[in-house]
Amino acid sequence: MKFKTLAVMATAMTMLTSGVALAGEVVWWTPNFNEARARELVTKFEQANQGIKVKLEITTTDGLPQRVLTALQSGAAPDIIDVQHAWVNGYAQNGLVVAVDDVLKDREDYIPASLDYGTWNSKLWAIPYRIETHAVIYNKGAFKDAGLDPAKPPQTWDELVAAAKTLSKGKVSGFAITGGGEVGNTIFRSLPFIWMNGGDIISADGKKAVVNQPAAVAAVKFYTDFFKNKQSPASTLENDGTANRRLFIAETVAAYQSGQFDVASIKKENPKIDIGVMQIPHPAGKPTAALLGGWSFVIPSSAKNQTEAKKLVAFLAEAPNQGALTDTFPARKSAMSLPRFSDPILTVFKEMLPYGRAAPNNKNWVQITQAYFDGIQRILLGDEDVQKAMDGAAKDIQALLDQK
Amino acid sequence: MDRNSTGLVFVLPALIVLAMLIAYPVAYTGLLSVTDRQGAFVGLTNFKAVLSARATPQAFWNTIWFVGGSIVFQVILGTATAILLNQNFIGRGIVRSITLIPWVVPGIVAATTWAWMFHTEFGIINYMMTGSGIIPEPIGWLTNGNTVMPVLIAINVWKLFPFVAIMVLAGLQSIPNDLYEAARVDGANFWQEVRFIMIPQVRSVIVAVTLLLVIWGLNSITIIYAITRGGPANRTLITPIQIFRLAFESTQFNQAAALSVIFFAVALVIVIIYIRALASTPGEAK
Repeated sequence: MKFKTLAVMATAMTMLTSGVALAGEVVWWTPNFNEARARELVTKFEQANQGIKVKLEITTTDGLPQRVLTALQSGAAPDIIDVQHAWVNGYAQNGLVVAVDDVLKDREDYIPASLDYGTWNSKLWAIPYRIETHAVIYNKGAFKDAGLDPAKPPQTWDELVAAAKTLSKGKVSGFAITGGGEVGNTIFRSLPFIWMNGGDIISADGKKAVVNQPAAVAAVKFYTDFFKNKQSPASTLENDGTANRRLFIAETVAAYQSGQFDVASIKKENPKIDIGVMQIPHPAGKPTAALLGGWSFVIPSSAKNQTEAKKLVAFLAEAPNQGALTDTFPARKSAMSLPRFSDPILTVFKEMLPYGRAAPNNKNWVQITQAYFDGIQRILLGDEDVQKAMDGAAKDIQALLDQK
Repeated sequence: MDRNSTGLVFVLPALIVLAMLIAYPVAYTGLLSVTDRQGAFVGLTNFKAVLSARATPQAFWNTIWFVGGSIVFQVILGTATAILLNQNFIGRGIVRSITLIPWVVPGIVAATTWAWMFHTEFGIINYMMTGSGIIPEPIGWLTNGNTVMPVLIAINVWKLFPFVAIMVLAGLQSIPNDLYEAARVDGANFWQEVRFIMIPQVRSVIVAVTLLLVIWGLNSITIIYAITRGGPANRTLITPIQIFRLAFESTQFNQAAALSVIFFAVALVIVIIYIRALASTPGEAK
């Protein structure tokens, strides 16, 4: 008898702790920068869909990939998660998220590269809602001091190298690259240079490592030479995008690659800086390129309320709602005409979007980029020259591509 | 029901919990290491993949360096501190408390603070050293291939030597005063007391503490991951971080499991050799 009571109590306790989310309550994980706008959208959605409750849980980007992965693997995931585009394919290939082809409407309204990320096995596994690319942010005052015309920023590689040389004097570094922090920082900044020079890290069919071919090697040399020639700070090997922004705010860096999300914090922390934005310089006669980044919604396979979750994702994917939720730009072209995207400082970032490309969908992409990044660090450390470092990286990458 | 089986019933809940928390994960890791993502048996494919990666041998040697270097200095510095704190002097209580601080500070907090202090541009260490003219220009402590590992070992030593000090101090305080008195009658000086009384008496403590340090060292991930993430160019990549990267950054759970199994075997061999070598040395005070 006593045992029975105990068992009932234990069951009740388990239900209390694990069953906080009631049936019919859609749990949505969204990062902290979305919180205020997400709450407004949730209120709107609940008014339009009586009977569906949405529970918002706020995440932080630091350590988010590990947290999401743990939740997905545990089998007790929320119903909707905001994730970066590049993470989606890993989830799809491990069967951790469900296909959302039935949720997508107006396919042709989306920037194609944003859908490329979420596609695997000719199915769509995520709905993109936010996209962004880098441009080069520069200090107009520093350009003037160095005798350069801030209204005519460099457009080609040669012009950028010349400008970086002129800008680098005393404590100021002309053009800061990244060589530290999380791998993604350096992929985002160096891979576009490889692309615009006609190269790539792996071949289009995903079978061959091409990072040691002349086009890629020339681009990597162009990138790492900014450090070799002391035009990028001495701390380059420990700098990520955030560190470069801090150095730019401290006026020891005159130009660096980043997205529009940096503009607000520069304005706030050092209002004296007259911020300029230029397209990422390209080799003469070739178009520029950028790596498209941003965020998508995924619905985990273990989500309890998939029907309701799909309804909410469909609602959030409507053009005006994407336009309201995104911190940068919406993934849908029709949402781009909203007034909040017409700020002149955003013009160049908007111009860069059509040049945005998706990173390859390879199941070993994270390890491939790690091998490439190790090569970049070997060059920056002075251990190996560019060709040798990229040969080594290509060998590591080929081994990953040959894995079944 | 005889006495024995009644006892078994009482320990059963604890055994079940242990099995769930330890035996199951160990067995599951073994299973993961010989299967693929879909759960199909693939033999030794995962082992081959991790062993052929260029980072694996490098991480292995880095681990030996990091653990070995850390332990030598942790034990020497910790024992010296314990002997110092065992003396009578004014303010001993305060000094004993202060010594404990590094060990009490959460690892991630300490690591992040050190990372900032060692930063090439913003770090206080370069600021003070260039300011006082010790070095002409800032050193990239964490980005120079020759300094980064020693710096990380120094941080790890700083973090854990207080633990050694406290354990050895406890051992020192249990030494009967008679031994010192007898030694003094024989005309022993301080260094002879250290060498012939203190060290032999706390030997068993040092052996046990070192074993703990080996195990912690082989598992340590916080300090290095928070400061360099294994970089630059894998100079500070140790095997536990490689396993973490494989599993949680690359979602290669099967390869991560294979590497864990290899690492477990290596760690087991090291620990067995250590226990055999030290625990069986004759002449130890029991």
